[in-house]
Amino acid sequence: MPIRVLAATGGSTHSELALKLGAELAATRGAALTALTVVKEGDPAWKATGILSHAREVLGERLPAGSWREERRVGHPAEEIIAVAEEGNYDLVLLGERQHHRLMTRFFLGSTAARVVEHAPCPVVVVKGRVGPIDRLLLCDSGVQEAPLVDQLVARLPELLRGARAVTVLHVMSQMPAGPAVEDGSGLEAQAADLIAGQDETGRVLSRDQQLLSAVGVTPRLKVRHGLVAPELAAEAAEMGADLVVIGAHRGAGWRRILLSDLAHEILATLDRPVLVMRAPGAADREEPDREAGAEEPDREAGA
Amino acid sequence: MLTRRRLHWYKLPLFAFSLFCFILAITLMKDGARSLAPLVQQRLHVQGFADALGFGWLASYLVMSGSPVAATAMTFLDQGIVDRFGAYGMIVGSRMGASFIVLFIGFLYILRGRSRMAGLSMGLLSLAVAWSIQLPAIPVGLSLLASGRLDGLQLGGGADLKGLFDIVLDPVSQTLRGLLPDWGVFLMGLALILGSFNLLDRCLPQMSLKESQVGGLGRYAYKPWVMFTLGSLVTLISMSVSVSLGLLVPLSERGLVRRENVAPYIMGANITTFIDTLLVAVLVQNPDAFTVVLTEMLSLGVVALLVLVIRYSVYERALLRAVDWVLFSRGHLAAFMFSLFVVPVILLAF
Repeated sequence: MPIRVLAATGGSTHSELALKLGAELAATRGAALTALTVVKEGDPAWKATGILSHAREVLGERLPAGSWREERRVGHPAEEIIAVAEEGNYDLVLLGERQHHRLMTRFFLGSTAARVVEHAPCPVVVVKGRVGPIDRLLLCDSGVQEAPLVDQLVARLPELLRGARAVTVLHVMSQMPAGPAVEDGSGLEAQAADLIAGQDETGRVLSRDQQLLSAVGVTPRLKVRHGLVAPELAAEAAEMGADLVVIGAHRGAGWRRILLSDLAHEILATLDRPVLVMRAPGAADREEPDREAGAEEPDREAGA
Repeated sequence: MLTRRRLHWYKLPLFAFSLFCFILAITLMKDGARSLAPLVQQRLHVQGFADALGFGWLASYLVMSGSPVAATAMTFLDQGIVDRFGAYGMIVGSRMGASFIVLFIGFLYILRGRSRMAGLSMGLLSLAVAWSIQLPAIPVGLSLLASGRLDGLQLGGGADLKGLFDIVLDPVSQTLRGLLPDWGVFLMGLALILGSFNLLDRCLPQMSLKESQVGGLGRYAYKPWVMFTLGSLVTLISMSVSVSLGLLVPLSERGLVRRENVAPYIMGANITTFIDTLLVAVLVQNPDAFTVVLTEMLSLGVVALLVLVIRYSVYERALLRAVDWVLFSRGHLAAFMFSLFVVPVILLAF
């Protein structure tokens, strides 16, 4: 069964990126693609028509006419995207995002992208930078046993792995020795082979990742870097020329939300290429969409 | 998360004794400091902020600690050897040099075969954090001192506290003044203050962070303000950045100290570490002394909070890059160590 992909577009240049990635997935991975646009209450009807018309031009460069679906909604963009993803049981949501100036990236992940990533019922790709064939994948595994990244990817989006020419599983070790008396043997400078041989928790996770990927015909390269997560991930992505970076998101609720850094947000704001965010199953804590009475029914059109 | 063994009752009289030693040390340093005026003012030419900064910096290398040097600054101010700006410079210098002890111990471990990263990374990071908030805090502090805005904020009670011990302090102090020259009384006070800090450390509950209780908590990257607050609170109790950092050692042995968490922790520790100097300022009963310490803490606090709120991740990455640069090669390390000694000497000489 093909993966169902929802590409959201607002008509801007950066939202074209989502459409281009959607076309790529439809062409090479056999994905069933839907182009969605959401206009605000009070916007003229021709606005959505114009956006979808432009979407047809973009998609038509890669896909035959009629091979994708179109949908238009009225309301709050993030809420409507999330609602459509849930109603249509989509496997993947694509959102384009502007590449902000380097000095601004620490503040800005667009509010729509941030909210959709936080609350969507399925994985979300925030598309930035260059979009091309998804040949080189970088999977960033934090080593958290409760939400193994590769397990989720293999279970939910195996099509992404098939057809990839190179897959790297990266673990960023940000731990450091707190004093000169700390023994080197704690593995704080270890590489992947050392961790696997040492059979500590991270080593077991990397070993399992290798086995899972091998089972779907992928031979991954295992890599460990030492430093801060986002910069090391960005450096590795640049070095290997990653076409898609895959990360997990499991910040959780309660005290965790108040006290813990949102590393996923930081990574999304830092990277200059498409990032697929896989939330742990059940981690999405979205509220029911606030649908006003009389809101437009979804308007589904086949691409013409 | 923190475990404490049952309260040992002998620690109560030990605490009282260490407090007595602390107050006696301040008294002796005050009494003996005046004799050092020719040495400090004429031989070493410590007259302005920059000279005092270099002097305090080098002095903290000598005694391998910042707190006694900061305490000395208070007594020098009280005796008119330095003015407010000079005292402020000495306190700033004491912080600049205080991290050296961690580096020095790290070097010893490197000589014993430890890698540069394992031996020096925490010491370098501690030093980098201290410098990076102290340097921009200097103009803030100097302008606060010059404006006199903090002069009205004072804390009393120094006389009351000292008065509790006077009945024993006065005879001891007089006896020592009769036996030793004034500079000897000062040095006795300096040695005693070092000893009193040691005794106070022994009075602290033996805090150890058991991995089984910390569990997965140490694996997370906490928001900077969380670690800043934790570092501030821990150092408020321990009164020592070294002790606060030492608390992290058993955690890091289990791989539970993350780079993201360390810098804001050290930042907080560098502010509340002045609580003991604040106590000294109260004990010398000199309003200017209190103002100087308050100025230092406030200016550091302002800079630290600004860094935490605005562009923290840029600051964090720059810090770690700086540490990596120093550790990159022996040449870089040698250049850095050379600057550690040359800079305070230049400040003192010019």
